[in-house]
Amino acid sequence: MAVTLPEGDLNSRLERYLDGFRNRHGLDDSGVEGNVVRLVVTPGVLPAVLATARERLGILHLAFITVVDREGSFELTYELLDFRGVRVRVKTTIEGEEPVIDSVTKIYPTANWHEREAYDMFGVAFKGHPDLRRTYMWQDHFDHHPLLKSFDISTKRTFENLR
Amino acid sequence: MLSEERRVESAALSGRASGRLTNPDVRDEFGLETLDMNMGPQHPAMHGLLRLILELDGETVVRCDPVMGYLHRCQEKIAENRMYPAVVPLTDRLDYFANMHMEHGYCLAVEDMLDAEIPPRADAIRVLMSELMRLASHIPSIGFLMLELGAFTPILYSFRERERIQTIFEAVTGARMMFHYIRIGGVKADLPEDIPQRIWEYIEGLESRFQEDFVNLISGNEIFIARTRGVGKMTQEQAVEMGVTGPALRCTGVDFDIRRDYPYSWYPNVEFDVITDTEGDVAASYRVRIAECLQSIRIIKQVLENLPEGEVMADLGRRIRPAEGEGFGRVESPRGEYAVHVVSDGSDTPYRVHYRDPSFCNMQLLQEIVPGHYLPDIMPIMGLVDPVSGGWDK
Repeated sequence: MAVTLPEGDLNSRLERYLDGFRNRHGLDDSGVEGNVVRLVVTPGVLPAVLATARERLGILHLAFITVVDREGSFELTYELLDFRGVRVRVKTTIEGEEPVIDSVTKIYPTANWHEREAYDMFGVAFKGHPDLRRTYMWQDHFDHHPLLKSFDISTKRTFENLR
Repeated sequence: MLSEERRVESAALSGRASGRLTNPDVRDEFGLETLDMNMGPQHPAMHGLLRLILELDGETVVRCDPVMGYLHRCQEKIAENRMYPAVVPLTDRLDYFANMHMEHGYCLAVEDMLDAEIPPRADAIRVLMSELMRLASHIPSIGFLMLELGAFTPILYSFRERERIQTIFEAVTGARMMFHYIRIGGVKADLPEDIPQRIWEYIEGLESRFQEDFVNLISGNEIFIARTRGVGKMTQEQAVEMGVTGPALRCTGVDFDIRRDYPYSWYPNVEFDVITDTEGDVAASYRVRIAECLQSIRIIKQVLENLPEGEVMADLGRRIRPAEGEGFGRVESPRGEYAVHVVSDGSDTPYRVHYRDPSFCNMQLLQEIVPGHYLPDIMPIMGLVDPVSGGWDK
C-alpha cells in the first residue's frame, strides 16, 4: 500500500491547511508566513489539532519537538512537514514548574522518541506515552533534567564585560 | 493506514513474538522461554557506541531495544553557554561523517534569524562542499555494509575515495575532519586557485572507476544478494510513521528530498534527480546510495561549471546578536533530514539550540523492523539505517 503525498501548488495547499485548522479549532491568531502555517494552541487541544493535521489534512511527517524552558513556563514547538514544501509549526505553552501534556504518539508514532528526549532533558511528562523512559541519561540514581535553566554547569560563562 | 489499525504498543516495545512463543500449548509443553542478550556497546561491528537489548527465541529476534547515551555530550547545553559563532565547531562533532551538513544547518538557522544575505559564491561553495561530503559519507557507508557482511575489499576502496576527498577538504579548509569551514554569513575563505580543477579531475576519475570499483564489485555478488534482499523489509507506511528520512525513506519509494522539496542555499540552481526504489529492504537502500553518489557527481559538475564570482563572506558585524525570536535551518544530510531550531533572547548566546538529527530519528526503525529477523541480519539492517554515534547522542 502506498502513501499518498499531497498534490496541488504551494499556495493553495497553505490555504487549505489554514482553513482546515480554523474550521475545526477556531485558532484566530494563526496565520501563514512564507511557507509556514503558524498555529498557537492551548495544551489541551494540541492532540486534537495534530490529529486534524494527520488524519484530515494528510500531513504525514512530524519533524521534531522542541522544548524551551522559559523559567516558569515551558514552550513546546511541534514542526510538521507535508513532504512538499509546507511547514506547519504548532506552538503551545505549559505553565508551571511541573509540565504535563498529552502524548501524541497515537497520532504520530515517531513522536515516541522525541517525547522521551523531551522528558529526559526537561522532565516534561507526556500523558499516555507507552514507554516514557530516559533516552540519554542514566535510568537510575539521576534525578536531574540537564537542559533546565536551573541546572547549572561548572563552565558557565558570561560575556557581559566583553565589547 | 490511519489510527484504528495502528499498534502503538508495537512501536514502543516491539512485542512481536515468534509463533512458537505465542502459542501457549507449544510454549508450555516444551518449556520455551526467550533469551535476553546485549549487543554492544562495545561490539566490533556496531556503528559506534550503541547497545541493543535483544530478546531472542532461538536465533530469531523477538524484541530489540536500542539504548543510547554512551557518547552523549549534551551539546545543546554547551551551545547555550557559547557565543553564536563558537557553536559552529561544536556542530562538527555531531555527525562526524557529515560535518559540512551539520555546520550548514546551524548556520542556516542563525542566518534565518538575522535575515542575512549570503553572497552567491558562498552559497555555491557550500553546496559544492556538501556534495563532496555526501560522497565521502555514502561511499564509506556502502563499504561498512559490505564489511559487516564479511567482504573486506569494498571498505578499502571506499576509504581510498574518502581519503582523496579529505585531501581536497584539507586544501580548502585546513582540516581533514573537523572543518569549521562554513561560518555564519558565508564560508571561511575562498577556494584556493587550483582547487576547482583538482575537484573536477577527481570527480571525473571517480565517475570512470565508480562502476568498476563499487557497482560491479558488489551488486552481483551472491552473498551480498542473499544477505540483503528482503532483509529489513519495510512498507512505506512503516517508514513514514517512524519518521524515517533520507535514503532509508527513499528506498521504500517515497520521493522526499529536502534539497528539492524545501530548497535552500544553491540547490534551486542545479538539476538533479531524487532517487527512489520500490523494495524497501537493505539491497534497495544500497541501490539508492549508489545512485545518489552519481547525482552528487552531477551536482558538483554543475556547480563547478557555473561558479559565481565575488565575495564569500557577508558583513554581519563583529558581534552576532540576533533580535529576540527564533530561526530554523534544515538540510538534507546523507542520513536524512537534519534540522536546527535556535531560539534567541537578544543576547550573545543562544537561549536554546535544538538539533533534529537523522541518526536519532531513523534508529526508531530498529524497534520496528528488527523483530522477526535472525540475529546476524541486524548487521545489514544497521547498514540500511546507517546511524552515526555522534549524531544520535548529540
